[in-house]
Amino acid sequence: MTVLEQTGAPKTTRQPGARRRPSPLGSKWTPYLFLAPAALFILVFQAVPLVQEVYLSFTRTRLLNPTRSEWVGLENFNRIFGDPDFHRTLLITFVYVIACVVGAVGAGLVVALLLNKGFRGRGVARALVTIPWAAPGIAVALIASWMLNAQYGIVNRLLDAVGLGVPGGAILDSPRYALPAVLATTIWQLFPFTSVVLLSALQSVPQDLNEAATMDGAGRWATFHAVTWPVIKPTVGLLALLMTIWSLRRFELIWLMTKGGPVGATETLVIDLYSQAFDSKELGSAAAIGMVGVVISLIVITGSRLVARAVEKGDVR
Amino acid sequence: MRRFRFGLTARIVAVLVVLGVAVFPLYWMLVTALSSNNDLFAEQPRLTPDIGRIGVFVEALAEGKAAGWLLNSLVIAVGTMVLSVGLGIPLGYALSRFSFWGKAALTVVLLFTQMLPEALMVVPLFALFRRFELLDSLTGLVLVNSAFVLPIVALILKGAIDGIPKELEEAARADGARPFTVLSRINVPLIAPSIAATAVIAFFHAWNEYVFAVTFIFSPDLQPASVGIANFIGELGTPIQTVMAVAFLFTLPAVAFYLLVQKYVVSGMTAGAVKG
Repeated sequence: MTVLEQTGAPKTTRQPGARRRPSPLGSKWTPYLFLAPAALFILVFQAVPLVQEVYLSFTRTRLLNPTRSEWVGLENFNRIFGDPDFHRTLLITFVYVIACVVGAVGAGLVVALLLNKGFRGRGVARALVTIPWAAPGIAVALIASWMLNAQYGIVNRLLDAVGLGVPGGAILDSPRYALPAVLATTIWQLFPFTSVVLLSALQSVPQDLNEAATMDGAGRWATFHAVTWPVIKPTVGLLALLMTIWSLRRFELIWLMTKGGPVGATETLVIDLYSQAFDSKELGSAAAIGMVGVVISLIVITGSRLVARAVEKGDVR
Repeated sequence: MRRFRFGLTARIVAVLVVLGVAVFPLYWMLVTALSSNNDLFAEQPRLTPDIGRIGVFVEALAEGKAAGWLLNSLVIAVGTMVLSVGLGIPLGYALSRFSFWGKAALTVVLLFTQMLPEALMVVPLFALFRRFELLDSLTGLVLVNSAFVLPIVALILKGAIDGIPKELEEAARADGARPFTVLSRINVPLIAPSIAATAVIAFFHAWNEYVFAVTFIFSPDLQPASVGIANFIGELGTPIQTVMAVAFLFTLPAVAFYLLVQKYVVSGMTAGAVKG
């Protein structure tokens, strides 16, 4: 930042007009005065707990007796990585995250393209589409569970009516259908965000280029590929990254709809971590599982930055 | 010409389908709240709300603990909004306008906290809260919710302040205004829409929050609506109409507020995410 040099605040004000600057601390300390309260806050409620959590992951600690923890080195990590259940959790997390990213960004793009053309009532349509994003997760989990209710849920009644019903209707109790149902609910909640962000990216696509391409006889797909896609590509990349992080963290929707079940069919890393801590009462394992999640996030973020940089340089197409 | 017509019809149908998918669950919440038992469990469920049963909302508030839950949620959300925006404005200003030792590190920390799952932080925060006697208190939830929403608030406000020409501040500084005066008199009024957007984000972050609330609150009287409604899911005794009525009352303010300020929220969030 060159702000200080430009404004000259620290130097010039010291000079003849000392009276002009009544601040007794001088401007060297000014930024710290502004940021100290917030930084202290983040330190106490985020940084310190995180460090404690890292420490916990190397210990054996029981929830019921947390002050008595025993350093066990990598034992927690060895155990979870040797556990086939944890492999399944990793696989489910992977499926969940990929499906959320593809589903939310894909659906968002389709909706954004639909709403991008001017038509009467577009403002209303845009507002209505944001509803799922604004709805609280608890309410979404509740209404989704009711709509998927085995006997009286509207979804089962509709599926039955078209002959596609799940036997017994127990979608959320079925190891096969629970994950798709939870995924559909998650994507329903996420797509408004991606579509609104993509909609604003689409606004910066030059219209004359679009028209020129159409005049030259380019089809719809060719125009999209040549004109629209290059403009929105960075936004799509950013959204993919955001969706990855958000779905890795996502807890309440899955927890309230299925608690990770049936038989672990919807158990993502975060669900596994929470049940390790509060059902099995093993804080060390829970912390280790959390660390795996954090490391995955870090790899994704670093990887995406590297890819973005390579793309900028033109090494990768 | 014909192809165009077909395209237009298809587009209208597609838009209507999308809107239907977006709105239907909320609509269904209302229909369920306003259905009689007969309608709910009939072979053919009722598809439109029975307006005559509108009293269910009043009953849900009067009889159950719902009014208390909503009030607790309100207290937590207002507290979080005030605290996080109050701390976020100066932090965003410092990040935007000053260069200082540790700035890069601080920015990395702010971004890093965005990826920490709440569930991971529950255990260490529980220990911290026990030490400071913040368990089972609304204050504790205000503090922790503020800490989680503060980074995004600060990054959005930084982006907004970045967009203000520096000349405006320079003039005020040359006249001898202190940095704090410059911030409050010059910057704050100019970024008012972004402040409103972050206030809405902070308010509903706390309004919706569940994990900390369910773990840190023991007294039924202090439960916010997110926990109260979640407990409904496992309970068999409560009539589904009451459940849906309370959930609808819980959802409506969030949706209404987002619709009012969505333009600013979206531009703020994208700016915060992109420039962050």
